[in-house]
Amino acid sequence: MKNKFKISLLFFITVIFFIIFYYSLKANNKNNPNTMLNKKLPPIELTSLINTNLKQTLPIISEDKFYLINIWSSWCVPCRDEHQILMLLKDKIKIYGINYKDQKSNAVSFLNELGNPFYFIGTDKDGSTAIEMGAYGVPETYIVNSEGLIVFKHVGPLNKKIYLKISEIIK
Amino acid sequence: MKSIFLILIFIFLPIQSAMSFTEREINIYKNLRCLVCQGQSLNDSNSDFAIDLKKVIKKKIINKQTDQEIYKYLTERYGDWILLDPPLKKTTIVLWIFPLLFIFFGGFFVYKSVRIYSNN
Repeated sequence: MKNKFKISLLFFITVIFFIIFYYSLKANNKNNPNTMLNKKLPPIELTSLINTNLKQTLPIISEDKFYLINIWSSWCVPCRDEHQILMLLKDKIKIYGINYKDQKSNAVSFLNELGNPFYFIGTDKDGSTAIEMGAYGVPETYIVNSEGLIVFKHVGPLNKKIYLKISEIIK
Repeated sequence: MKSIFLILIFIFLPIQSAMSFTEREINIYKNLRCLVCQGQSLNDSNSDFAIDLKKVIKKKIINKQTDQEIYKYLTERYGDWILLDPPLKKTTIVLWIFPLLFIFFGGFFVYKSVRIYSNN
């Protein structure tokens, strides 16, 4: 009788462990970089890269249905790769750039070389604005609607596939 | 005797509170995950992301924000994943209850074994 109890207890514990480990295997333990998705964009004040007297506050109050925020830097190689996509997007949506931990001269020559897709460029000298937005680094892209809600977020460089997805959203 | 104690306390109190600032700061860093270098806490990491985040947190401490406010700020932006000390939630209940169950069953097992041993 006692042995039977022990065996059934052991069996019970093994089954519980099996179930837990089985579900833990399936569970997504990876970091989810989309925490900010479907949340309100926190209020941010940007200072213009070109003219330091010029300020722009986010979220933007305007008639546009959507606008795009792109965090970039001249030293960031993937930003160079995605730049052509931003150039394609610039006629479809207003693009607000956040120049992340960069030097003005480098940023300007980057834009002179590859073109300027930005409606406005703000600076983020110490990376604190990026953290305010829940960003991990560069490049990162957000699409915000007129109510200030982040409707799309992409970590890493934009590509053709993402371009089509963005075009679909802002259509 | 009592007055000596009081005097000692008043001498050491300012030192204690001055220390607790950095202690508190480091404590917060230890409870946070460096998101770009998984497996390390913010305190252990010298990555750019970690350094920036530490600066932001330091500013918040100077602005007299509580630990809770700081954790809330970060989880709103980066999710619960940034906390190394997971909160008690529906999804983490097993994590919290299992050690207690282990102690309970383990204690029971030890108790039983000791009794059998002493009976012999």
